[in-house]
Amino acid sequence: MLPAPSYFDVMINIKNISVCFGNLTLFKRLDLQVRRGESVCICGGSGSGKTSLLKAILGFVPLSEGTIQVDDITLNPRTADHIRRKIAWIPQELALPTEWISEMVKMPFELKANRETGFDKEQLMEYFTLLGLDRELYGKRVNEVSGGQRQRIMLAVTALLNKPLLIVDEPTSALDPESCLRVIGFFKSLCDKGMTILSVSHDKQFAAGCDKVFIL
Amino acid sequence: MGTIDIDYGSLGIGLLLMLIPFYFLWRFKTGLLKPILTGTVRMIVQLLLIGVYLRFLFEWNNAFVNFLWVIIMVGVAAETALTRTRLKRTILLVPISIGFLVTVILVGLYFLGFVLKLDNIFSTQYFIPVFGIIMGNMLGVNVMGLNTYYAGLHREQQLYYYLLGNGASRNEAIAPFVRQALIKAFSPGIANMAVTGLVALPGTMIGQILGGSSPHVAIKYQIMIVVITVVASMLSLMITIFLASRKSFDSYGRLLQVHKEEKRR
Repeated sequence: MLPAPSYFDVMINIKNISVCFGNLTLFKRLDLQVRRGESVCICGGSGSGKTSLLKAILGFVPLSEGTIQVDDITLNPRTADHIRRKIAWIPQELALPTEWISEMVKMPFELKANRETGFDKEQLMEYFTLLGLDRELYGKRVNEVSGGQRQRIMLAVTALLNKPLLIVDEPTSALDPESCLRVIGFFKSLCDKGMTILSVSHDKQFAAGCDKVFIL
Repeated sequence: MGTIDIDYGSLGIGLLLMLIPFYFLWRFKTGLLKPILTGTVRMIVQLLLIGVYLRFLFEWNNAFVNFLWVIIMVGVAAETALTRTRLKRTILLVPISIGFLVTVILVGLYFLGFVLKLDNIFSTQYFIPVFGIIMGNMLGVNVMGLNTYYAGLHREQQLYYYLLGNGASRNEAIAPFVRQALIKAFSPGIANMAVTGLVALPGTMIGQILGGSSPHVAIKYQIMIVVITVVASMLSLMITIFLASRKSFDSYGRLLQVHKEEKRR
């Protein structure tokens, strides 16, 4: 068992949080710590609040109680934008209203927060290769690629964004076991570079490849 | 040159032409017969009433009264926008009222003061028609723009949250929706500008020529009317969207319920 993380090792520190929608309580008094450079997968049944937990960290779902800290900063209305600048986020079944893959991958780099990182097509192509994607996909229309290819393209984009924290919802839902293994390997390489990854997944193979699994 | 008056009998003869559209709308069971009948009656009544109050405005020729008229018109325009967009009063009323009032005063007085160089910029003969045409155009563009903006935010919520979750500022996250609103609201006007004078002769110019102006003068007025209506529509839409956006999201940037609740049938 890993030793208890010290204060400075923790990237995400969730203390005693509850999320309710009207009379429905999704989860109550939840604690979770994610260390820097660690990949953690949240598993659980449908409706258990996995996606809501990810959205709560981003400030998209209100908390009934408790606090969330990201990189030692407590999430509140004044810090939400600052925290989001440290995060790369991929929602479930992402469908952006762009016609071309080349437009889709460049979109986050047009934001002021990511301009310093800059878009590097060659680096992106390397990530494509690591994820088993054909380089030619870059020049295709969005509707010409499969759901699984689109998922991996967006993972390559988040790697290029090079943020301290990646939050991703169901990264392998449309992937075959071989592609899933590639994603696991890809995530390990990102964690080795210091990135922290928090994901939600129903995929047991993927969950087994993460450093920790948290059952909700 | 003067304008030939149309007496009420002649007006009635002219209105008989409306029987043609009434017939075809009835013949092909379009369901538009009742709306066009109502619309025609409303138009006649409203214009007759406007004729009455405009007569008083022209008789008084008073700056204070004219400004009061502008404020009432802004209120009416804001109410109309609320009805046509179905946005909540708390979200839209103050932003659109401020957007309309600030814009119509800035652009209208700029035109009257710097372009027409009037000795009395509050002269009813210029003040009322210029402010009226600016407000009429602003209303249509704002309704179209706001409907597109909020429909886009609802339909493409994933895009909004994707941008926000990847470090976008609030303004960056709403930028694609503002872009869509501008495209939708201004495309028809821009297309019309390009064919003005070729496909159709614009209303202001025709009105002035019928009123006795030379075509040379009427054309210059028409150019300026197009300019001030485009500028005012843009400025008012941007002010309204900016102010309405402050009330459309919570302190974390989450989109709030902005439309009025639908009544259950």
